[in-house]
Amino acid sequence: MTNEKKLELLADTFDCDVEDLSADKLLEELDNWDSMTKLSLIVLMDDECGKTLTSEEIKAFRTVGDVMAFME
Amino acid sequence: MKNLVNLAEKRILVTGASSGMGAETAVLCSQLGAKVVLVARREEKLQEVMVKLEGDGHRYFAFDLSHIDKIEAFIKSLISEVGPLDGFVHSAGISSTRPLKMIKPAHLREVMDINFNSFVEIVRCITKKNCFNLGMSIVGISSISSSQGNQAKTAYCASKAAMDAVVRCFAKELAQNNIRANTVCPAMINTDIYEKFKDNAGDSYDAEVLMYRQYLGLGEPADVANMIAFLLSDAARFITGSNIGVDGGILSS
Repeated sequence: MTNEKKLELLADTFDCDVEDLSADKLLEELDNWDSMTKLSLIVLMDDECGKTLTSEEIKAFRTVGDVMAFME
Repeated sequence: MKNLVNLAEKRILVTGASSGMGAETAVLCSQLGAKVVLVARREEKLQEVMVKLEGDGHRYFAFDLSHIDKIEAFIKSLISEVGPLDGFVHSAGISSTRPLKMIKPAHLREVMDINFNSFVEIVRCITKKNCFNLGMSIVGISSISSSQGNQAKTAYCASKAAMDAVVRCFAKELAQNNIRANTVCPAMINTDIYEKFKDNAGDSYDAEVLMYRQYLGLGEPADVANMIAFLLSDAARFITGSNIGVDGGILSS
């Protein structure tokens, strides 16, 4: 999956514009980095990447780049 | 001494019988004298449940209920092998925890197919002539989610609400054949679905509040199986079209 595609999917999940996202953006700076968004991330990983994302793994994410790396 | 819940010689079909409340219900029914017909996807899990059943005359069939269009042929074949039914318990169901924006049509269809559409289709097939005995009892395992809205539970709550509504129609339409239909609505029960809920909810405030309101604590599959067995029995002959909570107090608190 290309980085552009990843950012597009994440922008949709985070409910923000893709221009506002970059790999070094801190997740805590997102407007709605809350439990529902984290749940959406779990679903995204399952649907688009075929991967299971756990709560523990989410806790370890600091930046958008960390999430993108998981999407490999 | 009187045995209030006597299922002797009754033939009971249980879907979702390989685990959780379905498996518990199947075992209990066998202990109460019933001949149980187990249906689920996983054959090896069905075999594990078969070993726990008491008495004889039990059967199992591996089948994926998401194949809605194949249910009619499957039920026809099943009935031809085991004979007409005295009871049907629909315990097959999948959990779904997805924010609304992540519910694509395919996922909604999947949840509705297994949780609700298969229930309706099985009932349609087993209520045909020669497929049931007079007094057959139908029990769907719904959920307290059928009457409560919650974030990320759109598909699941809708499927359970549909079950609650449909038994009201089944009850009235099938009364002339002396068939009853009800749902049981469990709250948080110690099953795989509860484990998934805990994984997602963690120690969130919402999860804490839910357990506070369910003041009798976490339920066990046997708590639900007991109610189902009662509804299957002749002792429940005057109960139909109902949605009965097995909820540790949560809906009243």
